[in-house]
Amino acid sequence: MCRHFLSEEEDVIVQTGESTVMSWIRERELSFLERVTGNILKAGPMPKHVAFIMDGNRRFAQKTHVERQEGHSQGFEKLAETLRWCLNLGIHEVTVYAFSIENFKRSKEEVDGLMELARQKFSRLLTEQENLEKHGVCIRVLGDLTLLPTDLQQLIAKAVMATKAHNKCFLNVCFAYTSRHEIANAVKEMAWGVEQGLIKSSDVSDVLLGECLYSSNSPNPDLLIRTSGEVRLSDFLLWQTSYSCLVFQSVLWPEYSFWNLCEAVLQYQLSHRSLQKARDLHREDQALQQMEADRSCVAELLQHRGNGKPMDAQSRQKELLNYTASREERVRCFLNALQNKRDTFISDLSSQAVVA
Amino acid sequence: MALLYEMVWRFLHALLYVQRALVAWFRVHIWRWKRAVVGLLLPLALGFHNPKKTGPVGKRTSRRVRFGAEGRTLEKLPLHVGLLITEEEIHFTDIANLVVWCMAVGISYVSVYDNQGVFRRNNSRLMEEILKQQQELLGMDSSKYSVEFMKNGTDKQEHQVLSCQSVVKVLSPDDGRLSIVQAAQQLCQAVEQREKTSKDINVNVLDSLLRESKNIPDPDLVLKFGPVESTLGFLPWHIRLTEIISMPSHVDVSYDDLFGALQRYATCEQRLGK
Repeated sequence: MCRHFLSEEEDVIVQTGESTVMSWIRERELSFLERVTGNILKAGPMPKHVAFIMDGNRRFAQKTHVERQEGHSQGFEKLAETLRWCLNLGIHEVTVYAFSIENFKRSKEEVDGLMELARQKFSRLLTEQENLEKHGVCIRVLGDLTLLPTDLQQLIAKAVMATKAHNKCFLNVCFAYTSRHEIANAVKEMAWGVEQGLIKSSDVSDVLLGECLYSSNSPNPDLLIRTSGEVRLSDFLLWQTSYSCLVFQSVLWPEYSFWNLCEAVLQYQLSHRSLQKARDLHREDQALQQMEADRSCVAELLQHRGNGKPMDAQSRQKELLNYTASREERVRCFLNALQNKRDTFISDLSSQAVVA
Repeated sequence: MALLYEMVWRFLHALLYVQRALVAWFRVHIWRWKRAVVGLLLPLALGFHNPKKTGPVGKRTSRRVRFGAEGRTLEKLPLHVGLLITEEEIHFTDIANLVVWCMAVGISYVSVYDNQGVFRRNNSRLMEEILKQQQELLGMDSSKYSVEFMKNGTDKQEHQVLSCQSVVKVLSPDDGRLSIVQAAQQLCQAVEQREKTSKDINVNVLDSLLRESKNIPDPDLVLKFGPVESTLGFLPWHIRLTEIISMPSHVDVSYDDLFGALQRYATCEQRLGK
């Protein structure tokens, strides 16, 4: 069982009164020194997608002798602030871990409290339309939404639909998520594709699996930051972070500062070249494996057709190209069907909410 | 203005590069100095203590006792340790040392990984080095520690049931994502042949396929050697709860470095949900 540090983030109790309800994005410009530092960093390679494991809210509350709820409250404030910093640094995609599937094993009372919290936060999001539109924020929720209470599912669907068209920056919230479930779900979707006759089992590849993950609309994170000093991944984006820069920082999440973020980005820049090399190597391997797979499929096909005549190299090459083209077409149709299935699920939920 | 920022950025990175190089230089030279001093003093010390025991044997016996005893002083010992080498140039002797020390301290499973498949291609060389270092570091008691080398899939060695047995596994990127893809293909084939439906596929089914018959536990600890801050494709499925501890380099790594990392692991608290 892994720890649900981020469920702590969700444990925020929204204070009474509209004015004190926390916004998802902070409106605050950087100081002069922060801006200069940001510009210096931007002279080098910058991550385009950063993932955060926001850990340490409870410890912060203990340290500053406040209520646990206050610790979570501060944690959420910090998220809003960090999003702002990322935008200022030109980081346009952020993924955060909000609620793990393992969290359902907690007491009913606690889970209900967390669900209520989520309701409040996503409702708040729906009232902030103009602000989100101004920044062009697209909110996506990754996870198995069917595990959540129906009304929360509908709320989330509405929030996702409301911001779907925005494309300046992206916030991916992992909710009812664990990486293993995500990977198993991707395999399940590919099996569904096979069942529907859209793809063959031989079409299954590293690349295709990646396209079937919840995060398929995002590039892999360049940088993963975990706060509070823990040095594990805790079932978060295991597939996607194979070649990402991992930065473990000992600062507690509610105390996270712009300088901590800069430190992490610096670490990314130092590892950048080696990671690029490793990623390129992996991509080459993927391409090679795909070619080998295609070749053996073609060889099998030709054997079946087998009219006894050996094929010359040119015809064999032509067959290979044909096969690759038809496989790519199959895969494209399958991925479209999968995207349609997911979009329909969300839009149905969203329209149910309206009726209710 | 942009040019000025770029110059400052280059200067900053140049400074960091120099700092890293200096730190690495100091680490290696201080370790070499320490080793030389110990090499001189230890036989002398033992000579005073046990005049009956001859030099080299006495040294080795005391070391074996030390490894095992120190292992027991730790609050918790990982069951399975992964050695992740991110450096380009690999020194097999140092890796062999690490493997032997892990075994001596009481770790049952040791995996060795690099993202270019160097270990996989030089499997036999690594095995030879490990057996050699086993002799050298553990001396007469090396027979008590039997090592089972496992290559993926093809290995069919019998298990030797001796008192201290460790399993050493050599891994490459193929054991990571590629294994998951192969398991996925297997499941899709079963669906194609109507032996399964897509609804039958879940985490447990995939997990049991990925574990195969070997029943090796997930790594509790990964020791990452080198300056690259990434897992570089190391067993993505299996490292869900693994502690990842970074070490500067595997070149001239000492037992104290390893033990320091194990101590740090022992203090890690895996809060379980609550």
